[in-house]
Amino acid sequence: MVVNKPSIIVYTSGADEDYLREVCAGIEEEGVLYQIISREGDLDTLAYEAAAESMLGSGIGMQGDRIAMQMQRLPKGKNVFELIAPRFWQCRNLGANSARAVKKMPFKEIYGEEPI
Amino acid sequence: MKLIAGVDIGNSTTEVCVGGVDEEGRFRFLSSASRMTTGTKGTLPNVHGIKAALLEAMDKVHRPVGELSLIRLNEAAPVIGDTAMETITETIITESSMIGHNPSTPAGAGEAVGEILFLDHIQNGKPGVSYIVAVTSLFSYEEAARRLNQYIPELDIRGLILQADEAVLVENRLSRKMPILDEVRHIRRIPEGKLAAIEVALPGTSVRMLSNPYGIATLLGLDAEETKAVTPIAKSLIGKRSAVVIKTPHGNMKENVLPAGEIIFHGDSDRTVNIDAGADRIMEVLAGAGEIRDIEGETDTNVGNMLSRIRGSMEQISVPAEGDIHITDILAVDTLAPVEISGSLAGETCMEKAVGIAAMVKTRQLPMRQIAARLEEELHVKAAVAGVEAVMASLGAMTTPGTKLPLAVLDMGGGSTDAALLTADGKVRTTHQAGAGELVSMLIQTELGLKSRVTAEQIKRYPMGKVESLFHMRLENGAMQFFEDSLDPRYYGNVVLLAPDEMLKIEEDIPMERILEVRREAKKKVFVRNALRALRTVAPDQDLRRIPNVVLVGGSAEDFEIPEMLMQALADYRIVCGRGNIRGCEGPRNAVATGLLMSYFSQ
Repeated sequence: MVVNKPSIIVYTSGADEDYLREVCAGIEEEGVLYQIISREGDLDTLAYEAAAESMLGSGIGMQGDRIAMQMQRLPKGKNVFELIAPRFWQCRNLGANSARAVKKMPFKEIYGEEPI
Repeated sequence: MKLIAGVDIGNSTTEVCVGGVDEEGRFRFLSSASRMTTGTKGTLPNVHGIKAALLEAMDKVHRPVGELSLIRLNEAAPVIGDTAMETITETIITESSMIGHNPSTPAGAGEAVGEILFLDHIQNGKPGVSYIVAVTSLFSYEEAARRLNQYIPELDIRGLILQADEAVLVENRLSRKMPILDEVRHIRRIPEGKLAAIEVALPGTSVRMLSNPYGIATLLGLDAEETKAVTPIAKSLIGKRSAVVIKTPHGNMKENVLPAGEIIFHGDSDRTVNIDAGADRIMEVLAGAGEIRDIEGETDTNVGNMLSRIRGSMEQISVPAEGDIHITDILAVDTLAPVEISGSLAGETCMEKAVGIAAMVKTRQLPMRQIAARLEEELHVKAAVAGVEAVMASLGAMTTPGTKLPLAVLDMGGGSTDAALLTADGKVRTTHQAGAGELVSMLIQTELGLKSRVTAEQIKRYPMGKVESLFHMRLENGAMQFFEDSLDPRYYGNVVLLAPDEMLKIEEDIPMERILEVRREAKKKVFVRNALRALRTVAPDQDLRRIPNVVLVGGSAEDFEIPEMLMQALADYRIVCGRGNIRGCEGPRNAVATGLLMSYFSQ
């Protein structure tokens, strides 16, 4: 399929709705557009292809309670960030980071304790 | 083969040089090593660092330290450099009356005025009154937007202050456009019911109304007296992307000028200068006082405490019977230090005027003989104190290819900048000046507001680049560097320092251009000024033009830009100046240690 809108692509396969909402909120707060597309595949492939097909070169794959962020030209399986059964703030920051990858800004912390 | 070691203890590093004499009486240099100085220069804790350096140097030639037949220590000049920083203005806010910060994503643009109302109490709002609504992070962005939309038809809501980083999310869901500020950490400290003005700057600009006293007066309806009182607020909001100013009934914000105190120079004539006058004036008065015997600060003032602290740390280490301690030189530098405003709501800082001072403390003698005795005891090798530092440095510097007498040596270390002039008839004139590498690190740390001194040291030492993608970075000189393998995402979008073999990330969010500017300025302020000052002191008739060549040695001469800065500054005086290359192979380090060996072999 041809994607020609400058947006971050989120490929989902049975993704947790709450996680998805938080990830999208993270992208929105950074002021970048996104598209959610449902399709089959394993996590690494979802993320890899999302990044490959995004005009902005940044994509997210979500499968069940797992999330991966990927950037164009990185090898498949070498995800920039990966979360399993995360907390909400982690999803939010992962979304923000996919947008920051586009804006060339430093990433927010997504592992460890919630920053106050 | 008979092995001999020369040891030079500096303020920051201990240098060792090992040489040997073979059966036919010919000597040659074998190896060298450099280690951090342990403890204050000239004190017993130095022994630890000396042993480590000796071990490393001997290891290189595969010999045990016990095979040395003599260790020669330099008679270190009994001067120690120390640095201190004092702010001389201070902004005090006694009640929360402003917010000014740079959230990464505020929303909307423009300014608004209204009474502060918390979202929790929105049902108490009255129609016809303008409001600025404050929203704590207890409300999610969806809830906040829903409640606000519900009240927007009846209440006059002009702007929002959010605690969470959700300005854009809330804005996208609101039925009316308004300026929205977010990431205000201590939102509960905002006084409800007070009149407030809020401003969000257009992208790429900074606030205009609230960084202007008359702008604040216009928005909040202030009279001339009140306008004067908010000037420090306006000043501290310069350059911010978003800001709030709250009108509190009593003028409860002020800029204090701290009693910074006077410096008293006891020289050929006694002079005093107030530290407020600025670095240039202080240095002028210092130069006018002639040869300095001692420098004091006014008691119970910042500068007084600062100088007596430096003096105190020296008293602890010098030989008590000879404890005649004087501060013989200072270098003052103007700087700005970001200081967190007391009572801040979002961790705001204010640039306060400050002055950095490096002082040179002189005592009769350092307990070098004790160090030698301790070394003998621990290593079972004969150790002797021999040679004056400046003479040894000149001898070592002479081994740089392409030099001739008369020769000036500029030794730029961590604590002091020393100059020595070696004339063709073997006479040596020396001077020790306060201020060197450590003062530069301190200036970088304060001006950039860095948490750790280590980061400042690293900024001083290494060039930097900004990681622009996972495959390339833009270096500080504008060049691009590409990478075969992707970089660690931790570095993405950050400014990194290019240390050998690794990249060091700067945690603070400061643009590369700013770091570059501060780094270069700090080096110029300290080294160029000090080099001219020091060379002028040793030059015949104080005339720089009568020094034909200058060799730069010491740790700071290894820096990647200081020697070039000095070359440019000295080119005006037709002086050949360059980084030394001791023995044609050591670079600018190891001059004193090398000199110690040479003086022994030539005996």
